[in-house]
Amino acid sequence: MRRVVISGVGAISGLGNDVAALVDGIAADRSAVRRMEGWEAYRGLRSLVGAPARLENEKDIPRKARRSMGRMGIFAVQASEQALAAAGIERAELGSTRVGCIIGSTMPGAEALCETFEIMLPTKDLSLLTAMKFFQCVSHTASMNVASYLGIKGCVMATSAACASAAQAIGTGYDLIRLGRQDVVLCGGAEELHPTVTASFDILFATSTSFNAAPDRTPRPFDRERDGLVCGEGCGIVVLEEYERAVRRGAPIYAELIGYDTAGSGEHVSQSNTDGIEGCMRAALAQAGLQPDDVDYVNAHGTATRDGDAAECAAIARVFGDRVPVSSLKGHMGHTLGASGALELIVCLAMMERGRVFATRNLENVADDCTGVQHVRESAARELRTIVKNCFAFGGINAVLVCRRL
Amino acid sequence: MGQTDERIAEMVVEVLEDDFELERERIVPEAHLFDDLELDSLDIVDLVVAMQVKFGVQIREDERIVEVRTVADLQRFILLLKRESEAT
Repeated sequence: MRRVVISGVGAISGLGNDVAALVDGIAADRSAVRRMEGWEAYRGLRSLVGAPARLENEKDIPRKARRSMGRMGIFAVQASEQALAAAGIERAELGSTRVGCIIGSTMPGAEALCETFEIMLPTKDLSLLTAMKFFQCVSHTASMNVASYLGIKGCVMATSAACASAAQAIGTGYDLIRLGRQDVVLCGGAEELHPTVTASFDILFATSTSFNAAPDRTPRPFDRERDGLVCGEGCGIVVLEEYERAVRRGAPIYAELIGYDTAGSGEHVSQSNTDGIEGCMRAALAQAGLQPDDVDYVNAHGTATRDGDAAECAAIARVFGDRVPVSSLKGHMGHTLGASGALELIVCLAMMERGRVFATRNLENVADDCTGVQHVRESAARELRTIVKNCFAFGGINAVLVCRRL
Repeated sequence: MGQTDERIAEMVVEVLEDDFELERERIVPEAHLFDDLELDSLDIVDLVVAMQVKFGVQIREDERIVEVRTVADLQRFILLLKRESEAT
């Protein structure tokens, strides 16, 4: 099997439109969560907070390329360009069939999808539908637009596993490179914040509803007062590259990806499953050839839902006990859903590089059902060589990545 | 009172300028939509929708659209549709 490293990173998030803004924002303990203007117009929507990213500089993308991109597509292109620049990979290299692109999301382009329905359904009339709506709202809008814009000719794919989408994209890219099918794959996830997205969680009582007047106090992963998730948006992209190729060209190597597993819990569509989460973490560690004691940090999925956090803590406690520091980044940037696995992995890479663990924002009092693990309450200096990144999704889908600093 | 022919011709130019981000100096009457303004088949679908919205006319099912080649053709076609719709 070939080895796989991360040689470039790019990020658009509520904390800013590049990786430095994301990492510095978290290091400074900033919150991207805001009260969402206009959302009170939706009857029954109880969660009025979100972590929006800023759409900017989109006109740097020529119109003909941009016309097929919704908000998510633009985020994905911008993050991909950042990641390629960080990796030092020129556009000319992307035309090889050995270079691919796998970007997932929970929803397709939510704005374009809603606009399509708003145009078509009330009058049952197609005559005002533009050609571009389809391209902006298909499930693979992010990967398709990135691949078309950058001229990528290898494997182009969109993973669709809700909040595990980015982790599955990265894991799939990892497998393709390990197996010799691709040499470089841009991998990650993208998501756009929209009332319909928050609503889909709100009707399941999974959103935070008690902090509409104090947005920066939520979400509260593992905290006694946690009351649900807060949706965010953005895009995280990592450049995965075959190790020898990266070394040969003197590429920056952020970390080696050494383990990945994805597995269904095979039970309830929305309830978190401790056995499933535990099994996925153990399988990823086994694939990396590691024991739990070899791991220096676990970046939790930690969305601040009541059941999800408790189930994840129980699973982490079973695998790692209370020896390994654990934190969630959702308190800073909300739950970026399909993008979260990539955006949060990128922050983990920065933690490894800086030799610091970042604390869980808004964790003031550890809840009784989230004990048994070593929560990071204050950011602190710590050498991190090997980290585990957890992602869990509705549908009982688990995905875990393991990275090692070289 | 209907819009003047000049105003309608100007509104066609505005759609090309605003929706397709074309520089105004390129949108001359003889400019070919494909060859000079570099629109493509997908743009034409959206141009039809934009014209329908702007002028309240039906174009999508009108076979005469395939004869439209230049900005002047488009302006004439919209004027014709406006006259036809006002006549009915």
